[in-house]
Amino acid sequence: MDSEFVISRIFNQKTKPMKSLNLIFASIILAISVISCKKETKSEEKTKTDSLASKKEMEQEFHKEWYGIYTGDFNSKPIATEYGNEIEEYKKISVKINRITKDSVYGYSVVNGNQRSLRGILNENTLDFVLDEPGSDKSDGRFQLKIKQDSLVGDWSAYNKSDVKSPEKTVKLIRKEFAYNPNFMLSKKSYEESDYENPVDWNGGKVKTESYVTDEGKTETYENTFYRSASDKVFVINASKQKLAEKDLKNLRKLDLQIIRNTVFARHGYSFKKATYRQFFENTDWYVPVSSNVDADLSPLEKENVALLARLEKYAEDHYDTFGR
Amino acid sequence: MLGLAKSKNFILKAILAITFIYFFWLMLNITLDYVPIASDVSFLMIKQTEVTSRPAYLPIFYIHVYSSIFALLAGFIAVFFDKNLKYLHRFSGRIYVFVTLIFSSLSGIYIGIFANGGWIAKVSFVLLGVFWFCTTYKSYSEIRKKNIVQHKFWMWRSYALAVSAITLRMWKVILVYLFQPNPMDVYQVIAWLGWIPNLLLVEYLIKKQNR
Repeated sequence: MDSEFVISRIFNQKTKPMKSLNLIFASIILAISVISCKKETKSEEKTKTDSLASKKEMEQEFHKEWYGIYTGDFNSKPIATEYGNEIEEYKKISVKINRITKDSVYGYSVVNGNQRSLRGILNENTLDFVLDEPGSDKSDGRFQLKIKQDSLVGDWSAYNKSDVKSPEKTVKLIRKEFAYNPNFMLSKKSYEESDYENPVDWNGGKVKTESYVTDEGKTETYENTFYRSASDKVFVINASKQKLAEKDLKNLRKLDLQIIRNTVFARHGYSFKKATYRQFFENTDWYVPVSSNVDADLSPLEKENVALLARLEKYAEDHYDTFGR
Repeated sequence: MLGLAKSKNFILKAILAITFIYFFWLMLNITLDYVPIASDVSFLMIKQTEVTSRPAYLPIFYIHVYSSIFALLAGFIAVFFDKNLKYLHRFSGRIYVFVTLIFSSLSGIYIGIFANGGWIAKVSFVLLGVFWFCTTYKSYSEIRKKNIVQHKFWMWRSYALAVSAITLRMWKVILVYLFQPNPMDVYQVIAWLGWIPNLLLVEYLIKKQNR
């Protein structure tokens, strides 16, 4: 181990200022908005009978040119505060349009690994979609979207307004082609252009209390939050293309292993449930979350590598900093 | 004056014993991770290359794990009761010599050849195993010749190397806490840090005794 390496490791641990004051303001505002929200009656469409499902196959399809994946922002509506408009919740969503018939539109939505089927109608004159999630999940709701060339823009409102953090959201989607490509990687270049040269896990910060002695001899303590940062290996090791061996991975820390393993899933369009993984891929241009389960799509090579990586992650978690090997 | 020195010595010995018991307990827990025998537990999770490609690796690894815990305990008892409890000293000493020479050191050399951390670590672990064997054998042959002082000194060296099992893991915890290095980088460092300082300390103690 060269000492340079150790030093770079220490400096790689980022500190982030605390945002507690903002958070308090935001939560007060949210609480007020939730209370003031009127309970609206559910305007869910009656589910069609089974006989219709068999008829479906015969039905003519329209506007096949609009079939596809639309992906983009799914943010809470801006709330006016004394500091200007604030958006409480930022999320990414994908909406897939599978089928458009004379009286129905079929598809699904995926947000943070939660995949919900969609069914609704299209108004051909105004180019408006009304798409409903099933209603069996407390975070289900209705989309009202307008199609305009390659974009799908509109809003979403929860059926159950009291159970969700943001009952009203804006939706801004751009059509994207999803294609699996084993060459897709996190790019070193784009990280070099950012403030931090390597991927940092902003979600898993560890707070450490540190102290120093002032000139007057008083001991002051302060809290420092440390974040894990990945190494350059995450830009190099591709678990979709090369057969990985233990020796290639032994010297990597847990975050590196996690990123290398999950890049495989990202290539297949997996919609991550964990924010830790979403943060690395959501800002890449190639990542299109299309499904909440891609296990069946993995190649045999990928499956082997994923199993190996998972084993090493387990070892890293259990043994990296403990008394033992 | 003699009483003071004696009580100081007693306290020192008590601290030594308690420290040993604590670390021996940790080592015992690590050993018990390998009960029952499995091919993919704990450290073996990152040793599947060797486990699957070398049929001898797993049996020799388990010989090392299971025998060394006895060597660690027997060695401590023998060094701790070097003047009093002659019977216990001889009994535990024989176990230490037997287990170390036949099982622990030789198996240690073999698994050292396939150690993690590249040649830097491999050289260290192989040397450690060879020195452990030689010092133990030397100490044994000295007592056969009734050279008690030389026997004692060589056994100190031998046991200092045995205790590297503990010190190496201590260094790991310290280095990871301080620097969060990559796992194999820390491994290369502790491979050497585990036994060289031990040996230097013992040489210092021997020198002090000779004066």
